[in-house]
Amino acid sequence: MTRSWNTMEDFEAFLNDGGIVEVDDAMPEDYRKAVFTFIEMHANSELMGGLTERDWIPKTPGLRHKMSVLAKTQDEIGHGHLLYMVAADMGIKTRTEMLEDLFAGKSRFHNVFHYKAETWGDQVAIAFLVDAAALASQQAVFKNCSYGPYRRILKRIISEEGFHMRLGEDRMMRIANGTDLQRELFQGALDRWFWPSLQLFGPDSKPGDLLLRWHIKSERNEVLRDRWVQKFVPLLQSYGFSVPCPDLTQDEDGRWDVGPIDWEPLKATLAQGGPDSKRRIEQAARNWERTQWVRTAMDELAVPA
Amino acid sequence: MTDSTTHSTIDFLLTFADDEHLMGQQHTEWIGITPFLEEDLAFSSIGQDELGHAVMLYELVLELQGIEATDTAIDELAYRRTDEEYRSSAFVEYSTEDWAQALVRHWIYDTVEEQRWNMVAESSLQPLREVSVRAGREEVYHRRHANALLDSLLTSDAARQKLLDALEVLTPLVPSLLAPAPSEQAALNDGVVGGSSAALDSLLVEAIQDRFGVEVSFATIDQPPQARLTRSEHFAPLIGRMREVLDYDPEASW
Repeated sequence: MTRSWNTMEDFEAFLNDGGIVEVDDAMPEDYRKAVFTFIEMHANSELMGGLTERDWIPKTPGLRHKMSVLAKTQDEIGHGHLLYMVAADMGIKTRTEMLEDLFAGKSRFHNVFHYKAETWGDQVAIAFLVDAAALASQQAVFKNCSYGPYRRILKRIISEEGFHMRLGEDRMMRIANGTDLQRELFQGALDRWFWPSLQLFGPDSKPGDLLLRWHIKSERNEVLRDRWVQKFVPLLQSYGFSVPCPDLTQDEDGRWDVGPIDWEPLKATLAQGGPDSKRRIEQAARNWERTQWVRTAMDELAVPA
Repeated sequence: MTDSTTHSTIDFLLTFADDEHLMGQQHTEWIGITPFLEEDLAFSSIGQDELGHAVMLYELVLELQGIEATDTAIDELAYRRTDEEYRSSAFVEYSTEDWAQALVRHWIYDTVEEQRWNMVAESSLQPLREVSVRAGREEVYHRRHANALLDSLLTSDAARQKLLDALEVLTPLVPSLLAPAPSEQAALNDGVVGGSSAALDSLLVEAIQDRFGVEVSFATIDQPPQARLTRSEHFAPLIGRMREVLDYDPEASW
């Protein structure tokens, strides 16, 4: 059944009452666009995350270990696949259009995937720090998400991301209990990935944030970011790693403060000017181009002459 | 088992395991860059299966050697032998960035692999029979996947040409895959394997004729006399990639 609302006030009252919007509802166009853009960015991030990890998969140290890492990356790409379908159903762009926009550098993905995984330590840091940050963001969306198809997909994504985070933690612990070389490797990765992971939550939410108002997000960015800091600063220190924050302080209640955050690196990634943005997008675009013949053949098959 | 029987059985198992390992490795390198997302997921699943088969075969080797099959012991076997001790074929050592080649190789490899598992289905080595049942079940899906894609792509003239070009590049490598383990005769005598790899040649020629509509011949392609004892030029960069992190700190456990 298609539902409709006469005014934005009616629609917002529906959302405030805990209403869930479905794909065939006549939702306000601004809501449709906002939700679509959010899901498209999530889908792009899952895919680009997979591409960041794939560089190190062939080098995974250990055969069974490689199978776990591969399963994780497969999950990430699978999430992208599901999310693109949910986004495409909203009728704004097809899946192919979304992928082509991504590879043309026209659409966004999370800041962290504009950085390069330099070492195996980075791969572990991503699984440990970034996946935890992504999971916290997704859980906050899932908690009160007003768009039904996205909420249902998030349930599955979150359960798999929880497994990824535990895998990352397990790998980090092995390194923490390992040799000096391993610990040095991970400390280098931590120095590179701590701030981008923290910035994944974004700057403080603005007062009129429509995503909060329309129950897509349920918590403010700064709240989620602070929760992550309170968890990861002591955790990393307990494993003997140093947190790369020169202004780090702890108040009398034990709460950690990382000091002023430089948002310039985040802004650079939004403008596709991150440290590895160009290479990453060019690489993805080249792969897409190289395999165009397969998609063309499939399209010919789908549309008989 | 006598010492010589154990030795020949191990050699036979390693020949199969190394092919599975490197084929799985090659598939894993395609994640994220195949023509569409569904293929990323499929190649990744198939790659995991092949790596899993390698693990099961390496476990059997360790069991015969009287070594507990820990992750470390499996990795010693999988990554730490000298080049001469590997038994992999040039067919799986070859790395490619051409997806037509990856797909045609997937089809050829799984066509042969299915037969290899069939040949050990009645093995005198009971754990190998069990592994064969499990792997054989997965192979049905691998074959189905490759065939479904080829069914579609071969109907397009442009795609068909790409696939035939890929077949032409891969054909000279196929005899290395069909080459027997150095100990194959002993393994046959001991009932570890029920058929000779020589039988795979005509079977594959016929399958290629049915699938692609072209005639190929492997008999005329030059091969080193003991193909399984030498590594191709593609092996060193591949194993180098695979060992990079392990070599970073040989004392480490990851």
